[in-house]
Formats: sequence, structure tokens, C-alpha cells
Amino acid sequence: MILTLTILLAVIIAIAWAAFNAAYLVLAERRGAGIIQRRPGPNINGPFGLLQPPLDGIKLMAKQLIIPDGADKFMYISAPVLVMCPAIMSFVALPYSDWLQAQNIDVGLLMVFAFASMGTMGIVFAGWSSRNKYSLMAAMRSVSQAVAYEIPMIITALTITLMAGTTNLDAIVAQQSENFFHWNIFPLFGETHNILMPFSFLIFFICSMAETNRAPFDLGEAEGELVAGFHIEYGSMGFGLFFMGEYANIVIGATLATIFFLGGWSCPFGLFPGVWWFLIKMYAIIFTIIWIRWTFPRTTIYGLLNLSWKILIPASLVNLLLTAGLMKVF
Amino acid sequence: MNDTALTQLQEAFPSATCTQVIDTAVLDVQTDDLTTTLTALKENFGCDLLLDVTGIDYLTYPKPPQKERFRVVYTLRNWRDNLVVQVRTGVSNPKIGLPTASSIWESANWGERECWDQYGINFSGHPDLRRILNHVQFEGHPLRKDYPVDKRQVLMESDSLEAPLKARLASKDTGHEAMTELGTDVMFLNIGPAHPATHGAIRFAVALDGETILANVVEIGYLHRGFEKLAEKHTYNQVIPLTDRLNYCSSMMNNIAYVKAIEKFANIEITERAQFMRVVLGEFYRILDHLVCLAAAGVDVGGLTNYWYLYDEKEAAYDFISKLCGGRLMSTATRIGGMYHDFHEGWEKEMEFHLAAIEKGAGDSQGLMEKNRILQDRMQNVCRFSPEQAISFGLTGPNLRSCGVPFDLRKDAPYYNYDAFDFDIPIGSNGDVYDRFMIRYEEIKQSIRIIRQAMKMIPGGPVNVNDPQVHLPKKAQVYTKIEGLANHFKMVFEGVHVPKGEWYDGYEAANGELGFHFVSDGSGTPYKCKVRPPCFYTLGSFPAMVEGSMIADAIVNLSCLNIIGGELDR
Amino acid sequence: MAAKVKQLPSRGGTPAEKVYLIEIFKGMAITLKHFLRNLWDNSNLYVRHYPEVQPDIPARWRGRHRLLTHPDGTPKCVACFMCQTNCPADCIMIKAGTRIDGVTEKMPVSFTIDLAECIYCGYCVEACPEDAIRMDTGIYAFTSSNREEMKIGMTEMLSLKGGFPEEEYQKGLEGE
Repeated sequence: MILTLTILLAVIIAIAWAAFNAAYLVLAERRGAGIIQRRPGPNINGPFGLLQPPLDGIKLMAKQLIIPDGADKFMYISAPVLVMCPAIMSFVALPYSDWLQAQNIDVGLLMVFAFASMGTMGIVFAGWSSRNKYSLMAAMRSVSQAVAYEIPMIITALTITLMAGTTNLDAIVAQQSENFFHWNIFPLFGETHNILMPFSFLIFFICSMAETNRAPFDLGEAEGELVAGFHIEYGSMGFGLFFMGEYANIVIGATLATIFFLGGWSCPFGLFPGVWWFLIKMYAIIFTIIWIRWTFPRTTIYGLLNLSWKILIPASLVNLLLTAGLMKVF
Repeated sequence: MNDTALTQLQEAFPSATCTQVIDTAVLDVQTDDLTTTLTALKENFGCDLLLDVTGIDYLTYPKPPQKERFRVVYTLRNWRDNLVVQVRTGVSNPKIGLPTASSIWESANWGERECWDQYGINFSGHPDLRRILNHVQFEGHPLRKDYPVDKRQVLMESDSLEAPLKARLASKDTGHEAMTELGTDVMFLNIGPAHPATHGAIRFAVALDGETILANVVEIGYLHRGFEKLAEKHTYNQVIPLTDRLNYCSSMMNNIAYVKAIEKFANIEITERAQFMRVVLGEFYRILDHLVCLAAAGVDVGGLTNYWYLYDEKEAAYDFISKLCGGRLMSTATRIGGMYHDFHEGWEKEMEFHLAAIEKGAGDSQGLMEKNRILQDRMQNVCRFSPEQAISFGLTGPNLRSCGVPFDLRKDAPYYNYDAFDFDIPIGSNGDVYDRFMIRYEEIKQSIRIIRQAMKMIPGGPVNVNDPQVHLPKKAQVYTKIEGLANHFKMVFEGVHVPKGEWYDGYEAANGELGFHFVSDGSGTPYKCKVRPPCFYTLGSFPAMVEGSMIADAIVNLSCLNIIGGELDR
Repeated sequence: MAAKVKQLPSRGGTPAEKVYLIEIFKGMAITLKHFLRNLWDNSNLYVRHYPEVQPDIPARWRGRHRLLTHPDGTPKCVACFMCQTNCPADCIMIKAGTRIDGVTEKMPVSFTIDLAECIYCGYCVEACPEDAIRMDTGIYAFTSSNREEMKIGMTEMLSLKGGFPEEEYQKGLEGE
């Protein structure tokens, strides 16, 4: 009984953490974009605009939910849920420090990827059920994008697994915990490391941006050409959930990158490891993602697919093979 | 134009009457000779740019120059030798009309459509003679003199565009068999009139294979407010505020183009200072217009930050404009014979401040865009146009120059001392969207160069001509002297009397050649005022540009062409 | 002197551009520069915190109209219809009547401007031979929920005050 309650509590905390991050990253993104673009961003509600996310939430919830004529009602309503729920589920397996984790799962890595893939289904549901040609086109784009980028992402994760010899996220971090140079991103030190790791990190980073539909890969919403993409017909909290789902996915992507390559909660100097190091690293990656979004134009759908099928997938495969080879030799 | 050109024209077309109006050669031909004359002009005289097609209705004209009620004017330009030729012919029966010129120039397609729409003059053999500026349900032809200016019509139904789109689709090789084999079909999609990328209200009906555009038709006229009809009811000076609303991104260039055309025909010599003022402000507005275009194009490719680096400077520049003429967007800054106001005190310093800010902003934006391969992949080799195609479709300005044609009125027909400035005319090397985008950065730099030179050269003195027949007298005279008051009354009530005649004059606006075709009956009100907006013919080429490309390509192409609804729809 | 034709270089051929990353980092450096500058000091942002901070209105600004009065409070307008004639938007409606105060012969009985039609071109001010109408109130925002309220009458326009000191306004007109 107590065990069940603890798990329940842990899950609730994970959900709250996901929702909190999703809400406040929207604010961070808007403020960050503003500062990059020489304007203040939302700064009226509360100190530094900190009340903006809850007020936005209230506004969105107060709005009428409009279901377009001829839309597939069930799919239309379930789509935002299908985007948000798997994202939150992934948080259950993510470790933030050696004690802060909802549930230590041996196949944590697999579980996170399994849930992350489900988000695409929500996008397809939304695009298809809205009965709008623009959203349908966006959904088609999203599917091909998700298929194209999941492959190199998982192959890269496989490379990590190969080296770490485990799919337990805790264990992967533990191997890098000694100091700065034992992080997986650094090629030369540590017993499991090899020269290809920076490339793996680059591939993983690009893929996680593409997986989360972030600029310059936001072909799914491409507001210039497809108006608002798959969520064109969504208003109210339905739209809000898509929005939060996107940010929750960013957090997952950044968390995984931190665990795989940046040594998780270990301190660069071997001092006071703890959850704060994890958060610093994770938010640095998130900042980079936001920064990239506000710097570059969007690619085209063919450019995006070419990048994956012609460059990233072969590169990640070669990377996997070479890693295996290097491990055999040394 | 030199005299030999006129003699040569007369020799080549003995049956036509050949006259010279300002520096335009005017040929009056019989209807039967029209097609041969136009073809010969294109082939033997190098007039390969059809600037405009318009009609004239002489119903209320005092002592009309011909017995027929209607006349159609083709305005052609030989851009190499700076020769403008107008070919005019009377229309005895508008229902039968004239043979079309759309087989000679692609631009005649839209030009003649507009002429039919506004005057009801038929063009036999025209491939697509439909309404263009007015709505499909509209009855009558508004620029005819017997159409009352205040008549209203209620138009209820939107144009489905199905028939023209399917006709266009049928004329293409779309690989229909392959599609049937795959079990797919063509998808029809409306882009616009309210779509983020149309930046106003333009509608594109497209037939798609996946995301590839197979056929495309454009519906314009959402912003049509009858500028030309309105102009016929106002005095020459009263039309100036209306010209602001043509290309609202560079309102003062429209003001300048408009008054320049009138001054040229009425032989009004404006002061040196006013000329330099118009150069400085014209180039400043060229910069602002390009900033808007680049900023909007940046948004359409998804680079939103680009927008702020460019648009902030433009907004700040409006502070300068409002100090100068009292309005931010709508300048209304010129008058026939001069300017509304002289520069305010300390303008040089402010101008230099804004130029420096624009240089920095445009530099930042160019740094983000120019060498970035993401952008290059999106824009290079997309929607390419050859120089021949561009000329045939009547493109002018940066869009034409990006296709590699070095035609710029500031170089080829200099006005306002443009030959005294040292500047470059950038031309593109591929004629693709990337060139259309990049050429505007370069033109911003060149315009800044011109402004800096002009600021050094600008003389003092008055800005307005001292002629009570042309310009309002000074307020001090109006308040105190009866003579000044009388002149003031006469100017306001009757306007500037422009001699009887018909003429065309072009100006290098930010988007291309902005031309005005006037018919004057000698009074203070234009009998007819036809605008040749550069956007109109540019958009006419849009379907040919984008067919075969993807939706995303069409969108960036649209924003890099810089279509402004105000002047497109008038 | 005079204009020269210059061909734009054709871009995209160099290996540095081809590998994406170099230019991507350069672009990121540009945005980071802006980010850091504005993060520490956001005083020179272009964004104006309207409505807390009002824009600077120059003396030549064509704002809302007002009718001027003689020092004794009688309207300067003599109902000559010049502004109504010169208005490109036909938004001025004047009804003339005999003047009772003996200053001039005529005065307006009613003077209405339809601000929904007005295009703020300043032609009425330019046409006025008596300096009786000006657009120097400095008011640039005007809203209403119906069309009738957009028509402003003589009393309202007479009661408005100029937004600038007289010298400043006259100085603005100097370059006329």
C-alpha cells in the first residue's frame, strides 16, 4: 500500500514538473525571443511577467472549444491529449539525480523513446480530423519528418547503449560521474569513450530538435505557408495542450542529451554532484534550442528529408559501426 | 528621345501619324494595322517592354481628337535606348474591339483584361478575358464616363475560380496518367485572400499534386477602391493624398511620381532644392520599402528575428518622416511645383542617425541570411525567370534587375540630377528568388550612398516655385494681401490648369516603374489618370513563375516579389 | 560619376557555406550579441511602452482638427467653404449663416467633420485663408463604437486646445 502511494506521489510530482516546465518554458521562450529581437517580451503580469503562464492558461480555458463542421469529433478531441500524455509519461523514467526519479526502470531509455514516438500520432489525429486541407498537409509532413528523424536518433541512442552496456538511464550517468572529461561528449578520456562522440552528440541534438518540431524544422506548423499547420482549427485549451506538449518534449530531449552526453547530475569538477548541475546543463541546452529558433529560417520539407535520409541516417549508421569496431579493437 | 527616332518611326510606319509628346513618340494607327505595328515595334525598334495598356473614353471630352468614343493606348518602352512609344488606335465598336496583343507580350494579358474590365473594350483572341479589378458580379464598366462615380452595387458571391483554374490545368502536362496509376488526384486549394503570406488580400487558387503546384490562378481586386475614377473627380493637387494609398510602404515615392508627371507636361521647373529633396526622400523611401519587403520575406521563410532587425529601423525612420510632413505612413509630402514643407531644422543629423541604424540593422539581417545554407537551399534556383521572360511579363525595378536586365530609370532616363550621383545598379546572376531577395540589400546600400551624396550637394533656397498659377501663395500673403487671397481662392477652387493633352511619364519607384498616364482637358481636374503600378504586371507573371514549384517556394517567391495590395488593386 | 551596373555575386558555392555549420555559428553569434546587450541594458529597445509612455508628437503632426477663435472668443471661421472644397475626402460639412457679432459678414452655423471619412491630409488647414482651422491638437487616437459619434461638431472643435506652443507651431510651418 505504501509503495503504491509512493509511486503515485512520484508520478504526480513528475506530471507537475512536466506541466510546470511546459508552462514556464513558453514564458522563457517569449522573453528570450523578445530580448534577442530587441523588445521586452511579456513583462506586464507580475514581476518579469512571471504570472503570464497561469493567466494564459486561464484565458485559454475560458475560451469556447470550437469543433469544426464535419470534423471527426472523437479524434479531434483526443488529439491534444495524445500529444500531451505520452510526453508526461516519459518524465516518469527520467532521473534528475541519484535519488530524484519517479521510477528507476531498467529499460528507461526504451520507454522514453516509445512514448516520445506516440506524440506524432496526436499530430496526425489533429491534422486528419480537423477537416482542413492545410492541417492535413501539415500532418503528412509531420509523419514523414517523425519517421525520418526517429531513425538516426534511436541509432545514436543505440551507440550510447553499446558503450554503456545498459539501457538504465541511472547507470549511464553513473559511468560519467568522475569529472568533466569523463562525460560522454568528450572523445578522449574515460574507458568507454571514443573519438566519434561529438558527432553523435550533434546528430542527437539535431534529431531531438526535429523530433520536437522546433525551428528550423517546424514544418508541421510552418505558419508562413500552412498558416498554423496541424493545429490550425484548434482554439482554447486544445491549442494550449499542443503548445505545452511541444515544450514538454523539448524538456525530454534536453534531459536525454544531458544524461547521454553531459554527465547528468555529476559535477564537472567532481564536487557536490546534485540535481542543480543537472538543471543547469538541461536549461543550457534548452536555451540553445530557443536561441537557434530565433536565429534561423525554416527549411523546406525536401531539405529536411534530405538532411535526414542522405546525411544523418548514413552518418549515424557509420557512427554505430565504427563505435562497435573501436570498442572491439581497444 | 532623339529626333532621329521619330523620323525613323515615321518612315517605318507611313500610314500612321507620328507625333512627339514630351519625350514620348506617339503613333496613331488604324485598327487593322495595330498588330503589325506592335509586332514591328517590338522586333525592329527594340520595344520589348510593354508598360501598360489602357483605354480612354472621350464621351465628355471637349472637342475630342477622334470621332470614335473610345481609344486604346499601348505604352511600350525600348529600355536600351530610352525610347517610349505609345501606340493609339480608335475603337469604333467596343463589343468587337481590337485584336489582342497578348501573343506578342505576356504582360498584355493582364493589361488588356484590365482595359476590358474598366472600359468594356473587347480584345478578340484574348485567352482569358475576365474581370480583374472589379468583382465577377459587377455590372458595367466603371471608368466609362457615363458610369456615375457614386453608384453602388451589392456583390454577394465569391468567385469560385473553378473554371479558369481547370482551364489552366488542362493546358498543362500534369502527368495525369501517372497520377491515375498511383490512385491519387489533383487537390484544389485556396491560398488567401486571408492567409499570412499574402500580406493583404490576394487570392491564389492552386491545383496541387502533393505539395507541387500544377496550375495557379490569381484573383486580385480585394483592395480596389477606384483610384482612377476618384482622380477624375478631384483637382490635380487633391489627388496627391490619394496617391499615398497606392504603395503605402513608400508613399512619398508615389507623391513624387505623380507630381513629376504633371510638372513635366505642364512645363513647371521646380527649384534645385526641391529636386534634391525629392531625391533624398525618394531614396529614403526606397530603403523603407525594401526594408518592409525583406522583413516580410524573412517572416515567410520563418526567420522572425530578421523582421525586427529591419522593421525597428523602419519604424524609427517614421519618426523622422512625421517631423517632416506630419504623418507617419501617409506622407502627402509633395505639391505640384514643390513640396509641402521644407526639411525641419537639424534634419541632416537625424537622417544620418537613421541611415547608420539602417546600415547596422540591414547588416545584421544580411549576416543572418546571406550565406546561410538553410536560406540558400530555400531560395536558390527556385522560381527562376530568364531575362526574356521577365521583360515579356513586364517586370520592372528590382524584380527585373534580379533577372539580369540592367534597366533602371535612374540610369537610363535620369531625372532630378541622378546622373550626378555615383552609385551602382545591382543586377542578379540567376534570376531566382535568392537574387530577388539579395538585390534589395544591395539597393539599400546604394540608396544610402545616393542620400549621403545628395545631402552634401543640396543647395539652399526656396522649395516651391513662385508662381501663383501653380502653387499656393504663402500664408502671410493670404492673410494680409488681397492679391494673395485672390490667388489662393483661385488655386483652391480651380486647381492647377494643365494644358490640354495626353502623356505618359514613368518614375523608378521602389518596386519598379511607376507610371502615370494622364489625359487633360485643360481644366484643373484630370480627365483621366491611369496608374501603371509595377506590382500589377509583376503579379501577372506569378502563375508562370510558381507552376512546378512547391507551396513553400511560391510563398517565398510572393514575398520576395513585394506585392503591395494598395497599388496592385488601386 | 553616374550609375554603374554591378552584378551580384552568385552565392552558395564555397565549402564554408556548404557545410551549414560555420554560417550557423556566425548567425548565432549575431543573435547572441543582441541577446547579451539587451539582457543587461534594455533601455534602448525600440518598443515603446504605450500607453504608459506616449509618443513624441512633432509640431507639424496632422492630428485632430480644431477651430480657432479670436481673442474675444468668437470663431475665426468665416464660412468661406475653402476647406470643404479642398477636402479630398469630402468629410467637411459647413452650413453658413449671417454673423451676429459684427466681426465679419458670415460665420458657420454648423461645422461638422466626419472623422470616419477624414484622411488626415491637412488640406483643410492649407486651404484656410483665415487660420481658423488647424490640426495641431496632437490627438492621434480616436475611437468610437458607432459612425454617428465619429462626426464632430463646431462646439467640440472650438473647445479643443492646441497641443503646442504658438512659436513651435509657427516654426513648424516655416518651411511651407
